[in-house]
Amino acid sequence: MILRLNTDIASGVLGLVFGAVLWFPRGDIGRLSIIFPRAILLILALISIALIVKGFIKPSGRQIEITGSPRRLATVMIGFFVWWGVVEILGFLLTTLIAFFSLTWYLARVETAVTWQRMLKWTPVILVLVGVFYLTFTEVLNVRLPSGMFF
Amino acid sequence: MDMLLEALTSLLTFESMLTVLIGVSAGLFIGAMPGLTATMALAMLLPFTFSMEALQGLIALGAVYMGSIYGGAFTAILINTPGTPSSIATTFDGYPMARQGRAYEALAAATIASVVGGIVGVIFLLILAPPLARLAVAFGPSEMFWVAMLGLTLVASLSSDSLLKGLLGGCIGILLSTIGVSPVGGESRFTFGYPPLQGGIELIVALIGLFVIPELLTMSAEGRGALPDGGELRKKEVSIAKIARRIFSKPANLIRSCLIGQVIAIIPGAGGNVTSLVAYNEARRFSKEPKSFGKGNVDGVVASESSNNVMVAGSMVPLLTLGIPGAPPDAIILGVLLMHGLRPGLDLFTQSGVLTNGFILSMGLAALMLLPVGLLGGRVIHRVVIRTPYYFLVPSIAMVTILGTFALRNSMLDVGIMLLLGTAGYFLRLIGIQAAPIVLGLILGGIAEQGYVQTLMAAVVDPIPWLRLVRNPLSMVLAGLVVLGAATALVPMWLARKGLLDKVDDNDSGGSS
Repeated sequence: MILRLNTDIASGVLGLVFGAVLWFPRGDIGRLSIIFPRAILLILALISIALIVKGFIKPSGRQIEITGSPRRLATVMIGFFVWWGVVEILGFLLTTLIAFFSLTWYLARVETAVTWQRMLKWTPVILVLVGVFYLTFTEVLNVRLPSGMFF
Repeated sequence: MDMLLEALTSLLTFESMLTVLIGVSAGLFIGAMPGLTATMALAMLLPFTFSMEALQGLIALGAVYMGSIYGGAFTAILINTPGTPSSIATTFDGYPMARQGRAYEALAAATIASVVGGIVGVIFLLILAPPLARLAVAFGPSEMFWVAMLGLTLVASLSSDSLLKGLLGGCIGILLSTIGVSPVGGESRFTFGYPPLQGGIELIVALIGLFVIPELLTMSAEGRGALPDGGELRKKEVSIAKIARRIFSKPANLIRSCLIGQVIAIIPGAGGNVTSLVAYNEARRFSKEPKSFGKGNVDGVVASESSNNVMVAGSMVPLLTLGIPGAPPDAIILGVLLMHGLRPGLDLFTQSGVLTNGFILSMGLAALMLLPVGLLGGRVIHRVVIRTPYYFLVPSIAMVTILGTFALRNSMLDVGIMLLLGTAGYFLRLIGIQAAPIVLGLILGGIAEQGYVQTLMAAVVDPIPWLRLVRNPLSMVLAGLVVLGAATALVPMWLARKGLLDKVDDNDSGGSS
């Protein structure tokens, strides 16, 4: 998918917005702690303005291209955040198993239809993979993974 | 000399060899996992060394350290994900090489460079430890500021498309590094009233997010694996001997990278990530084909991997002589030394000379062991990446990155930050802001801030405080290198913009024909 966008102006605006988010809370910070970030914020603002000016005078790119399917991109992006958000409710093991199955099913559909038989064939592989990593981290590395409502 | 021979004898036993082999293999595996750093590998091994003799424990730690730093190159080359921060620069050319079907060439070059780097580091450590340690003490705040600035000149090299966007990315990275408690003032900054942000943004979290997540999103959108379908190692076409000949026929890159690695390694706090970035930058700057860097130039892989493996032994210089860890994993080794009643300093090279020399030589042995273990391991990991369908690869990598990120500080917030940065990184890449300058800013921001603010604090009574940054000779030399570095990166860009380079190329081709 190709979108019309002046990338110089977009970068400059993004720099200014990011700088503004950090510029306004600086009043509560002491001199020693703000001296360096303030210098960088000023440099950031100058670069952003230069990019915006360049975008009007001599833009480097007027379009961006999202390769592949934007729908799949958005779904996987949201899927990652849902995975993260649900971990503390359902626990790492259950959430990861659900997320793994869902992602595999969703992405495999690109090539061909995914039948129940095919999913059943993948089940032991997914169970072993998730199980091995879960046990390695909890039992060998002593990492306490979120347990949630179940385990 | 007697001590060295005695140490060598104690090392050439079946038990020691086995320890090195297991250590290197374990380190390689851990280093290849995104999020699991060399420091974590050593921390995990620590409890096992309690029951070992001092020498065996140190041998195991040295071997794991060497293996994990090298292991980071595998995922950096095969899936564009630096296994350890030291491998960031390896992704720049290693992954493009793998995408071009030259994965074996990149892996073999990384292995040879790592072996050479590891051995050179050990030789440096044996010969130059005391004089270099004295030099390390001379690095005060202003010098550290210039070292960080020297690293930041790399932004110019990493921004071939747009220097301004590269600088913007660098600034964003530096500002991200300022989130949390200030290293000098001790106050919380930019936490927006949310206390968990006081811990700041962990480098590894940002690294995983900015490098891995955009790649996973692209793979999902395009419906493809990390490497092209049917991509083979092409082992038969490019032999290890041929790659070795190519690397050794142009030794300048290797020598320069090893020297850079050694010099930076002895500066406490700099670490392997800075080492490999600076070495990569210099390799590009001195190359006759700088434009080919970032597109699959094997010299980029060699520079990064040789310098970060020199750092393994190199960072032991300040550790063994002054007790100052040159890099975070060294702190764990310091703990083991102290646990066995060994105090860094002259005694370590006299009273406990056999033990110390045995430890140093074992790192050389571990470097040699990288060759067989690495080449075999590389084939196995490559096969896994190639043969796994992308719909298994994406959730598998996502699971490992989530686990690795969480395990750093047992924090789900870190996982959220990783995903947020990764998603932002995907869109930033679309508008031409690459991840590398942001990560560079994040790494060097803290070092630069500490050096800058401490220098200005010391110069509070000076009429022009910032002049303190260039007051002593070492600072002047470093500042000169920064100016020189920026100029050599910017002048070719300026010439190219004016079209002067095209004229030179035309003349060259005209002359040759």
